[in-house]
Amino acid sequence: MKLNIEGLLVYFPYDYIYPEQYSYMLELKRTLDAKGHGVLEMPSGTGKTISLLSLIIAYQRAFPLEVTKLIYCSRTVPEIEKVIEELRKLMEFYSKETGESNNFLALALSSRKNLCIHPEVSSLRFGKEVDGKCHSLTASYIRAQRHSNPNLPVCRFYEEFDAVGRQVPLPPGVYNLDDLKDFGRRKGWCPYYLARYSILHANIVVYSYHYLLDPKIADLVSKELAKKSVVVFDEAHNIDNVCIDSMSVNITRRTLDRCQNNVDTLQNTIHKIKETDAAKLREEYRRLVEGLKEANVARETDIYLANPVLPDEILQEAVPGTIRTAEHFVGFLRRFLEYLKSRLRVQHVVQESAPQFLKDIFDKVCIDRKPLRFCAERLQSLLRTLEIADIADFSAVTLISNFATLVSTYSQGFTIIIEPFEDRTPTIANPVLHFSCMDPSIAIKPVFQRFQSVIITSGTLSPLDIYPRILDFRPVTMASFTMTLARTCLCPLIVGRGNDQVALSSKFETREDFAVIRNYGNLLLEMSAIVPDGIVAFFTSYVYMENIVASWYEQGILENIQRNKLIFIETQDAAETSMALEKYQEACENGRGAILLSVARGKVSEGIDFVHHFGRAVIMFGVPYVYTQSRILKARLEYLRDQFQIRENDFLTFDAMRHAAQCVGRAIRGKTDYGLMIFADKRYARADKRGKLPRWIQEHINDGSLNLTVDEAVQLAKHFLRQMAQPFRQEDQLGLSLLTLEQLQSEEMLQKITQIAHQT
Amino acid sequence: MASLSEEVLLVVKKVRQRKQDGTLYLMAERIAWGPEGKDRFTVSHLYADIRCQKISPDGKAKVQLQLVLHTGESTTFHFANESSALKDREAAKELLQQLLPKFKKKANKELEEKNRMLQEDPVLFQLYKDLVVSQVISAEEFWANRLGGVNNTDPTLFNNKQEVGISGAFLADIRPQTDGCNGLRYNLTADIIESIFRTYPAVKQKYSENVPHNLTEKEFWTRFFQSHYFHRDRINTGTQDIFSECAKQDEKGLKSLVVQGVKNPLVDLLSLEDKTLDEGYGVSTTQPSTSNANRTVKESSNYAIIKRFNHHSAMVLAAGSRKGETPADQASETSSTDGNSRDSDFFQPPVKKVKLQEAIEYEDLQRENRPKTVALNLKKSDRYAHGPVPLQSQQYTTSQDIINSVNYIRHEMANYKPNLTQVVSSTAASSAIVALSPGGVLMQAGAQQAINQMVPSEVQGELKHLYVAAGELLRHFWSCFPVNTPFLEEKVINITFIGVNDYCHLC
Repeated sequence: MKLNIEGLLVYFPYDYIYPEQYSYMLELKRTLDAKGHGVLEMPSGTGKTISLLSLIIAYQRAFPLEVTKLIYCSRTVPEIEKVIEELRKLMEFYSKETGESNNFLALALSSRKNLCIHPEVSSLRFGKEVDGKCHSLTASYIRAQRHSNPNLPVCRFYEEFDAVGRQVPLPPGVYNLDDLKDFGRRKGWCPYYLARYSILHANIVVYSYHYLLDPKIADLVSKELAKKSVVVFDEAHNIDNVCIDSMSVNITRRTLDRCQNNVDTLQNTIHKIKETDAAKLREEYRRLVEGLKEANVARETDIYLANPVLPDEILQEAVPGTIRTAEHFVGFLRRFLEYLKSRLRVQHVVQESAPQFLKDIFDKVCIDRKPLRFCAERLQSLLRTLEIADIADFSAVTLISNFATLVSTYSQGFTIIIEPFEDRTPTIANPVLHFSCMDPSIAIKPVFQRFQSVIITSGTLSPLDIYPRILDFRPVTMASFTMTLARTCLCPLIVGRGNDQVALSSKFETREDFAVIRNYGNLLLEMSAIVPDGIVAFFTSYVYMENIVASWYEQGILENIQRNKLIFIETQDAAETSMALEKYQEACENGRGAILLSVARGKVSEGIDFVHHFGRAVIMFGVPYVYTQSRILKARLEYLRDQFQIRENDFLTFDAMRHAAQCVGRAIRGKTDYGLMIFADKRYARADKRGKLPRWIQEHINDGSLNLTVDEAVQLAKHFLRQMAQPFRQEDQLGLSLLTLEQLQSEEMLQKITQIAHQT
Repeated sequence: MASLSEEVLLVVKKVRQRKQDGTLYLMAERIAWGPEGKDRFTVSHLYADIRCQKISPDGKAKVQLQLVLHTGESTTFHFANESSALKDREAAKELLQQLLPKFKKKANKELEEKNRMLQEDPVLFQLYKDLVVSQVISAEEFWANRLGGVNNTDPTLFNNKQEVGISGAFLADIRPQTDGCNGLRYNLTADIIESIFRTYPAVKQKYSENVPHNLTEKEFWTRFFQSHYFHRDRINTGTQDIFSECAKQDEKGLKSLVVQGVKNPLVDLLSLEDKTLDEGYGVSTTQPSTSNANRTVKESSNYAIIKRFNHHSAMVLAAGSRKGETPADQASETSSTDGNSRDSDFFQPPVKKVKLQEAIEYEDLQRENRPKTVALNLKKSDRYAHGPVPLQSQQYTTSQDIINSVNYIRHEMANYKPNLTQVVSSTAASSAIVALSPGGVLMQAGAQQAINQMVPSEVQGELKHLYVAAGELLRHFWSCFPVNTPFLEEKVINITFIGVNDYCHLC
């Protein structure tokens, strides 16, 4: 249908529309009009992606000079591919309606592992190996060497792309990862470099967060993207953690040992080169003296990891004299390494700020701040000069030099914690240096500054106001949308007591309590008897789940559950868990029914959807608080309190509730879907917890279902499931939660729609 | 001997039954016993009728074998040959063990059918209790003309019966019982053994390797239940345990499953993340390290449990879906999937495309163009949701009926003219009054209704049962005619006898 969103003609590739989609597009348009940033929360399964795409593309077509590019960031590879498929649908609709093929270019970009078509390289299992191997085939000096020695291995796909691929732009169209590979195979071009090259002139780019947020990658990939772009972060409820992760470094004794080896290798290589090709080193030195970093435009294939600091922080000066010659730099690295080793020989926990660390390193080994800042840059130059093919081996020394650059660049927002042993095993020495970022706004700041509109959206962003605070930006729109429902297809229940009136809670004091564990078991058992097909249960942590499972096994609860359904359990091994997941789905599919025991914050809770019969009930055992004894977390909480005036408890609760909401939200993926959401902890009944759930869940929790016993919950669940099992047709929804164009245009409906968006 | 036409599989002499010496014969279809010196069997059971065999514990003085029939009766044989009693018994037991399961299938199916019929039909069940349990007629006679459908089913239908999956909890169903002296007893049925074999092919292999050459069957299962393998929480360390190899094989199977990877890219957690952080970056190191060295015993046993559960569920699932595939098929299948994984690009897209399309589809936003199906139309969905409610007694006359009849009577009355010459005589009138007053002849109907309420419901129920039972007996009685076999004659006499004794007070 064709919509009129405040004067903008929007093509929407469906015959019907949800009211909240219309409302979402309205808000989105206002954000784009104001050229500002927005925070929008809309329940999962209400067609967020297609609304976003429809509106932004319509906007791009209407105002090609205002918005030149859409950068759509998602979290996982399947999500990225889903976005592209939705986009394809939209584009097909466009060409059908307008009768002309439009010249939009849209493509997905992913790592080499997902795009490589080189028969040997692509067969490698891990992304790192693929990257390293690719580098060893395509780096410029390798290719230069090949002129003298044609027997060296070659990647013909890259050569072909380099020869002709750049002249011919990628023809307009929608390219998913597989399409790029197909295209690459047909033409004999490398799809990865083709995609990286094409994102510069593409109208729509879909890729992962890291390409914008991780400075090490962003500098390589996204540096030249146009300023007049709209950036969308989908599934952004964890964006602060992504930011923090990309800027944090951990150094263990093992890292240092490997680093030592790397430095030795460097030393040897330098000696060797000195004897054979001293001119090369002299050339490098000359370059560094002149500060001709810019002049030496590194070929795209050479840069393995760019500078870990953000673009505007990178100095435009020459590398300082103390580390200019190769030997000096290696000596410098050695000193730095020895210093770090000495710091790891601690008996007690040390916590200090970056300036403290810099002062200490100056006092002890006379290393200045300035050469430290150039460490990462200098190492890259050296690795390039030495023509080291297998860069993957040098990850340890790269890590150390990145750390050096980071610690000397940022004086605020980071903390250094050195722990001599793990808290759980105080007898085993395992010293770790955590250099941890506490301020997510550092990594995302350049994004907000550079692009004219940044949209942060997800199914669960409550409470909305906390994101602008922790990411330190000023949105022009903040809105939370409810899900209009013709039938209440979600049923949140808070189970606070067992049948024996024992209070259920995962809080620390009662964690080992057998009565609680037994009651949790009973809840699962009873639910397994009444819920059809799949049940997913989430625990607060892996250790907690292990203990409960063992305890249930001893008490024979698992045996009884097995009478009703098969049991699959998430493990810490991703491959094993994937298999369990697939078997789980198979068991749901063939009617046997299954239970998946899983962990909040785990991979399953973040990336896997349990649509329809794959998840008819989600049980959240306990409140998934983060492990609060961690010093890194404590430091971060302190920082949040001092810098952003966010109280510790508020943040912890917010964090726990967003994960709980994520977990239970996995089961509902649309209006035709239905599912039970069981919160098995009495603490959920409190207003401060409940109030932090997304509005679309909160509004279905009534006072009667706040502190249920297991039996009561079972009764309510039975009733709910029977009602939901009734046929649900389109006619039931029409006019309420599903609109035709005529219905949408009625005055009364437009009135109603304005109430869907809940502004804060 | 009567058994000449049958194949005799085993003859055991000096077997006592009811304190009488005799010979035990195991034949192709039945087991029989005849007292010494006589050439007819006093005991004969078809294998299909035997539910199970029980043997006396090894230490006991008497070496016995008991057969329990489906009807609940049992026959005990005492092996009395002093020198070889135990050996004889073992021989009989072994043979029975092989024979019984063959007949079991059929028997089970019949039994199941009978059970189902009894459960579904309370009247039939009552009848069964009245006639069979109280031994008025035998079970065979009772079922003879009811189970026509079961026995006469099309053989092709019988072969195509749906494969029954395995209960996920079959291991849990083997509840150990304490035998009172520090021991545990596990009761294994053929079904459970089959489940174990189907789910854990490794155990089956062990079984065929070791039984009966190295171990007796009993020893095998004893070891199985003692093994670390069965108790999943223990870590297998003992190498002398024959099942440790099974555990290893399982481990291997699990590994190969894991290595094979998953077909659905949407659940592949390994390729979920686009760009994982390199080692050393990130803050999420609060998780305890997973290396085995750092694990405590408890932790690794917990881990073992979790792994076992995953494996068990996967195996149960696989056993259910194998559907009698030959191993060769499987092998070729796995090899072809191996081929897949090597060059996954050629095979992946279709599955992936389909899954992606499924994931982005909003069925309610599109116009429906599926073929119309007939929806279940519930008139009162409340009743569906809440279960049946006893029906209230209803007045069947509508108000319209009442109005009509009132009008009719009014009309009649308006036209009524007393015809005084035809009035009844006074005696007739007074007798009519007597008859119509309470206790009179014509008021009997009211009194009879009272009986309906006066008699307690148990008595009514019993009466009903008696009536039905008598009806059934009569049916049997009449079905005996014409009496042309001695068996039927006996039956007629029997029924007549019972009928006269038990049921004549009804008449």
